[in-house]
Amino acid sequence: MTTLINQNPIIYEASAGNSTREWREDDDNEDAADPIDAQEVFDLIRSISDPEHPLSLEQLNVTQRDHIQVSDENNTILVEFTPTIPHCSMATLIGLCIRVRLLRCLPSRFKVDISVRKGTHQSENAVNKQLNDKERVAAALENSHLLEVVNQCLATATSGGVVANIVRGPAVAN
Amino acid sequence: MPRLEQLAELQGHEDRVWCASWHPTKPILATCSGDKTVRIWQATNAQDPTKWQCVNVLEGGHKRTIRSVAWSPDGRQLATGSFDATTGIWERDEDESGDYECVATLEGHENETKSVAWSKSGALLATCSRDKSVWIWEVEQDNDFECLSVLQEHTQDVKMVAWHPNEELLASASYDDTIKIWRDDDDDWYCSDTLQGHESTVWAIDFSPEGNHLVSASADQTLKIWQRFEPGNPLGIVTPRRGEPVWKCVATVTGQHDRCIYSVSWSKTHGFIASAGADNTIRVFEVSSASAEAAGRLAEDQQKALNEPGVLLEAKLVTETKNAHGTSDINSVAWYPNEEHGDWLASGGDDGTIKIWRVVKD
Repeated sequence: MTTLINQNPIIYEASAGNSTREWREDDDNEDAADPIDAQEVFDLIRSISDPEHPLSLEQLNVTQRDHIQVSDENNTILVEFTPTIPHCSMATLIGLCIRVRLLRCLPSRFKVDISVRKGTHQSENAVNKQLNDKERVAAALENSHLLEVVNQCLATATSGGVVANIVRGPAVAN
Repeated sequence: MPRLEQLAELQGHEDRVWCASWHPTKPILATCSGDKTVRIWQATNAQDPTKWQCVNVLEGGHKRTIRSVAWSPDGRQLATGSFDATTGIWERDEDESGDYECVATLEGHENETKSVAWSKSGALLATCSRDKSVWIWEVEQDNDFECLSVLQEHTQDVKMVAWHPNEELLASASYDDTIKIWRDDDDDWYCSDTLQGHESTVWAIDFSPEGNHLVSASADQTLKIWQRFEPGNPLGIVTPRRGEPVWKCVATVTGQHDRCIYSVSWSKTHGFIASAGADNTIRVFEVSSASAEAAGRLAEDQQKALNEPGVLLEAKLVTETKNAHGTSDINSVAWYPNEEHGDWLASGGDDGTIKIWRVVKD
């Protein structure tokens, strides 16, 4: 079995259930424009699976609601994520999964910027540049093998918070 | 004040439109898309510029996105650059109503081809790729294309190549934040200069009508105008390599676009520059000599120390069209290449449509 990049990730509690947003008057109005907020964006990405472990990005604290900024009126979204370790080579893949999830679920009016939290990755500029190059992303998604890996990570994305019961890191057998 | 008036919206592509290219002499536009096809659009009524028709769809030639399309200078052939790493050469069947067929496929790049361009004479074709290289091909008889040179000096993806309007001189724009100028010495191609200054990927470049200036568009949200300085130039700009001119930045357009700029086009007829990108806006600029305040000319001794000419030009905003393609990015803008419809501008966007605009003065 290949050695995992991060063999012993720290696992965080995922908050139970979905959105903790309070009911608003417009919620039941079919015609009101549906403003998107940070909670909604977080709900979309929190359950994406980490590529290496059977855990969600939320459980690994890779994504946090406070690291998401949304301006509904300017149609801009900034998502920052924290790789579990500074030399994580999965960082680009995780960022790509986030991008694809949001591409598929959000209205097309949004301009989404994704970046690694400052100081959390040794190649953060290089990773950020790739994740925000539209042409590179488009070409990557035409790669069927890569798309399959992304889709596997996204398969759990709708489970709302918890991917699996909290378990210790997977046993390592070499 | 002039503004852009929309003449037509061309629908048909089933995915984002990456590039639009005008036929050299006729009101015909070729566009390419993530739907793996090229569409050819023609103005159908000489009196009514709002009437357009899709007259051809080129499909089956590429297995992946077609990223770039360019007409040959004689208008007889089309080159297509695709993410499938090949470049297709297409020609029309003898009679005017014929379909296009792919007469040659140029292979060699290791991964996605990003841009294709024909030299002014039509004798050379340039292609570039994510594999960091620029290839120069010689167009021979019977649709034979011989690779003259593989230029491997960029350190990252090469996004676009553009030929000088008159000379056999090529410029390339890269993910490595630089622009390179390429020249040849008897078919031996080499890098003549490297233009540094942008703080992020350079997505597009275009030469001025006479070819002594180059405009570049970048992910750093600025446009830069570069000027060529020959050895022995009056400003005293040092040209370190024997016989080689240098290109220096003489203007930077900031504070206009607030997201990545994907395309720039310098009209060869009226000299306006059009730019567009991820902020959904098409902007048109007029270039002139820098006014005294704008110039902020460096003191002579400072200038000599830095070997920089300072700000010699300024680009004034003529008009901006917001949400030109709604909330979609605009990937390509192209001015009509000759006087007949020099005020026309084509744009292609992520919404899968192409729009034809005309500059009007109210």
